[in-house]
Amino acid sequence: MRDLPVLDPGTPDHRSAARYLWWIVRLQKRTVIFGVVMGTVWMVAQALMPYAIGQAIGAGVADRDTTALAVWAGVLLGLGVVQAVAGIMRHRCAVFNWLSAAYRTVQLTVRQAGRLGATLPKRLATGEVVSIGTSDISHIGNAIDVTARGFGAVVAIVTVVVILLNASVPLGLVVVIGVPLLMAIVGLLIQPLHARQQAYREQSGKLTTRAADIVTGLRVLRGIGGESTFAGRYRTESQQVRAAGVRVASVESLLEATQILLPGIFVAVVTWLGARFAVEGKIDVSQLIAFYGYAVFLLFPLRTLTEVVQKLTRGHVAARRVVRVLSLRSELVDPTNPASAPNPQTSNLVDSESGVIIKPGRLTAISAANPEDAVAIADRLGRYSDSGARLDGVRLADLDRTTIRDLILVADNDARLFSGRLRDELTGRRTAENERIQAALYAANAEDILEALPDGLDAMVAERGREFSGGQQQRLRLARALMADHPVLVLVEPTSAVDAHTEARIAARIATARLGRTTVVCTTSPLVLDRTDHVIYVEAGRVVAEGTHRELLDSSPPYAATVTRGEDE
Amino acid sequence: MSARQMLPVASTAEVRRYARGLMRRHPREWSAALTLHGVAAVAGLAMPWLIGRLVQAIQDGTTTTTVDKVALAIVGFVLVQSVLVRFAKLASAKLGERMLAELREDFVDRTLAIPLSTVERAGTGDLLTRTSRDVDALSHSIRFAVPEILIAIVTLVFSAGALIVVGPLLALPCLLGVPVLWAGSRWYLKRAPQGYLRESAAYSDLTDGLAETVEAARTVEALGGQQLRIERTDTDISRSFAAERYTLYLRTIFFPLMEVGYLVPVVATLLIGGWYYSQGWANLFQVTAATLYVQQLIDPVDRLLSWLDELQVGQASMARLLGVSNVADDRQESRGRPNGERLEATDVRFSYVDGRDVLHGISLSMDPGERLAMVGPSGAGKSTLGRLLAGIHGPRTGSVTVGGAPLTELPLRELRQHVALVTQEHHVFLGTLRENVALARPEVSDAEIRTALEAVDAWQWAQQLPAGLDTELGSGNITLSPAQAQQLALARLVIADPHTLVLDEATSLIDPRAARHLERSLAAVLEGRTVIAIAHRLFSAHDADRVAVVEDGRITELGPHHELVAAGGAYAALWRSWHGDRQPLPSIMTSRS
Repeated sequence: MRDLPVLDPGTPDHRSAARYLWWIVRLQKRTVIFGVVMGTVWMVAQALMPYAIGQAIGAGVADRDTTALAVWAGVLLGLGVVQAVAGIMRHRCAVFNWLSAAYRTVQLTVRQAGRLGATLPKRLATGEVVSIGTSDISHIGNAIDVTARGFGAVVAIVTVVVILLNASVPLGLVVVIGVPLLMAIVGLLIQPLHARQQAYREQSGKLTTRAADIVTGLRVLRGIGGESTFAGRYRTESQQVRAAGVRVASVESLLEATQILLPGIFVAVVTWLGARFAVEGKIDVSQLIAFYGYAVFLLFPLRTLTEVVQKLTRGHVAARRVVRVLSLRSELVDPTNPASAPNPQTSNLVDSESGVIIKPGRLTAISAANPEDAVAIADRLGRYSDSGARLDGVRLADLDRTTIRDLILVADNDARLFSGRLRDELTGRRTAENERIQAALYAANAEDILEALPDGLDAMVAERGREFSGGQQQRLRLARALMADHPVLVLVEPTSAVDAHTEARIAARIATARLGRTTVVCTTSPLVLDRTDHVIYVEAGRVVAEGTHRELLDSSPPYAATVTRGEDE
Repeated sequence: MSARQMLPVASTAEVRRYARGLMRRHPREWSAALTLHGVAAVAGLAMPWLIGRLVQAIQDGTTTTTVDKVALAIVGFVLVQSVLVRFAKLASAKLGERMLAELREDFVDRTLAIPLSTVERAGTGDLLTRTSRDVDALSHSIRFAVPEILIAIVTLVFSAGALIVVGPLLALPCLLGVPVLWAGSRWYLKRAPQGYLRESAAYSDLTDGLAETVEAARTVEALGGQQLRIERTDTDISRSFAAERYTLYLRTIFFPLMEVGYLVPVVATLLIGGWYYSQGWANLFQVTAATLYVQQLIDPVDRLLSWLDELQVGQASMARLLGVSNVADDRQESRGRPNGERLEATDVRFSYVDGRDVLHGISLSMDPGERLAMVGPSGAGKSTLGRLLAGIHGPRTGSVTVGGAPLTELPLRELRQHVALVTQEHHVFLGTLRENVALARPEVSDAEIRTALEAVDAWQWAQQLPAGLDTELGSGNITLSPAQAQQLALARLVIADPHTLVLDEATSLIDPRAARHLERSLAAVLEGRTVIAIAHRLFSAHDADRVAVVEDGRITELGPHHELVAAGGAYAALWRSWHGDRQPLPSIMTSRS
């Protein structure tokens, strides 16, 4: 078995869902073909076992022919072993095909998410993309897997039909007509079953959400009260789920009963016809026993065929969602002939739309009366939106985005902490010695967070860093941004969630840590503003005043009002 | 963070006791389901019997009328069996759904009774996993594994019985399969649950990683982390593949072993049956029926073995769900009842970890109706002190009392009437706005809710919601901004109306100017209430009656704002810097604490 994941998942054919599935099948055609062959051997071996049992009883036992008995028992054993070996080989192929289809889809989605970057959350609800991970990949895996078994099932059914037609045309016809008929009738019940299962899944999903809601808000409930209200509501919904479960069971049990009744009657008819032929001397006892065996066996490939239809349909729907994600394009177009990157150490960064000019090597603050203005400016300076922003006169739009990302880092509060080791979280792409990490944590006044972790830098950060408080997360994000060490760093409200003491420290330490490099802080906090070299005050999206914090406090009453937060002493 | 603790897990004995209790609660349903399955299994035994008879009859020479009769009998039994199966399945499903509902409701009740201090310290991560993954695993177990195993056992018992009835000697070859099946499944079951748990954990790591990459796409782009995410995904895939490979290895050994274990008895029955027949110890009916019964035994044995590991997984999940109620209660209720509303802390010391005190002898007395602002660097112990003052944790030494009664000796219900804590961590519950505000008193009138919302400056946006107070909030519905959520948390407190409130950064997410307005209008509503506000903005301190500066687990400065400013200490320096006075910060504020 080859090793997974593959190094390069390749370039998918995302013109349509069917083409995508076909593309995946082609990539793993060797295991798919091997799986089909093994699946067929496995099914046919099982199909032939009733024949061997029939011969063993009819020609061996009944005729008291020890040799024939031994031979047919041996054949049965042989078929059993072939069946077991082919079965496990088929299973191994199926698992491999399933996994490699699922893994490949994940790899492609991750790469596509990387390519789309900031565009992705704007174009698609994250839930939709996330469901690729939670359900779509397994449906795609199932679709690929079921093809091998489905093929085997068809071959097995054909084999049995040929044997029966050879023995007796009416018997063969009963099978040829009976099999599709059975499938159709069972199919009638599958639809309502799926509808109810779907309803059950939705209800029980809601119930899980409700429980998670209670758990997440447990502090509030235990602190303020309301436990009985929520216990009562959970109980009500739990009973609804129970009722939905019973509704599923009523169809399911009906389906189960039908799956005993119809095949049972089918078996009875085949046996009855066989027995009459036997009485008339057209066939012998061994054939009768075999007929019974065939009829019983046929139920198995039948179920497989029903499964094929379902799984292919679901796989197709899942592939459609994947294809939609894979065919998205980034909203910002990189230039075909990118300009060469200017030296950020000596260049002004200019946002013409607002009139903001960031001089190199300084700590500049952008203070906006409306915080959203500052966010919009930061987005333009970092080329997260199309604009005429320039670095050293070169339009950012004329540079490759990868170039810009290496030069300018916009660190905002929507940035996410990732799960994994704290050290990796902070160092990112590069490796760094502990002293540098310590220095960044110091600058972000986050040393206490590290000290409280028993495993220190090797501590595992939970998803979203949810085990840290809001203020701790903010300081860790800041430390990460400082570690990344970009020539230009744009910080959006980096101290909004920390207390005044911490804020004062961070302000002083950032100034030191970023000494000589271009740093922009979007903030209205006087504790931070006081530490900057230069403050740009923005109102209604335009620069209205510039100077140091102290100068502006004296010269610009609206600035003073913005940063002292309506102080009215 | 240092104080994270896991919730306990119940012992196997406790799980068994609970499971027995669950069964005993529904004796009639249990016996009905078992009887129906039993009778259905018996009806299912008719077919091989009749086929055996048919073969014997044909061998002996018979008429088509007999054949027709036997065929009709087969149809009759099939009909009876299918009707019985329908009702048996339904009965057991109803029973399963019922027990499942009881189990999960019980779990939520247990969760809602977890001591407050444990909730505060353990965090919700572990509990959240239990709520989702363990409840799901247990549902799967009860909805599928339990009935499948029961049916398998019932069918197995009756089929084996039928086989013995047909010919006790013909049943012997079956035993040949037992050692193989026994050894194989022991080997497998010892490894399988662990293997499958690892497999599903690795798989959910993979899908979680994908979700993270997608949700944080902008952050990934900003930090140039694409390659890292690709590597992380590939690592997750390798890990998942390794886990899958392991279980596949288990199945590669186990499945063929089982197949052989199933086949050997069939072949042996044929051979021995042939020998018996030739010796005249058995007739053709017996050999045929016995062979078919042996074949029919395969299905229940297979079901039994393939669901056993699921049952083990379900048992582990159940242990985690039951474990939730094994947390020792943190309140030692005494008869002492508060006399008055004065909140007083005397020489309080506290540690999360033995030997590492985070509060070093704090004393603080709050006049009823007084407003205190607590400021200080992060990690100084403000929040811990807040929790002690709210009666969530008890002090290691010293005391925290309200009206002379220790807080941790009050029953939770009573404690809430005296003091409540609101933290920065807000939560909007799934439910209407009204329900979200009225937590403490569900019967509260709309007018009171309106007053509460007005007090926190939330009435304006609340009115604009599509259905006003009836608007459904929470994830999947209308989402409130963090600032609005904080307003909501404060409105809850207004409804709960304790005489003492501890606000831990309760307005930190609200726009500074709006926060100040809110705090003032809230103060008007809370007139006469004692308020301890852990503040992160200095105007809150400025507006309070007294300011306490907490540093390194001690109160270093305490007094009214203007006195502290006049005293020229650390607080004064911070205030001046914030306020734009031309004096640099003293080193204490900028150096390492």
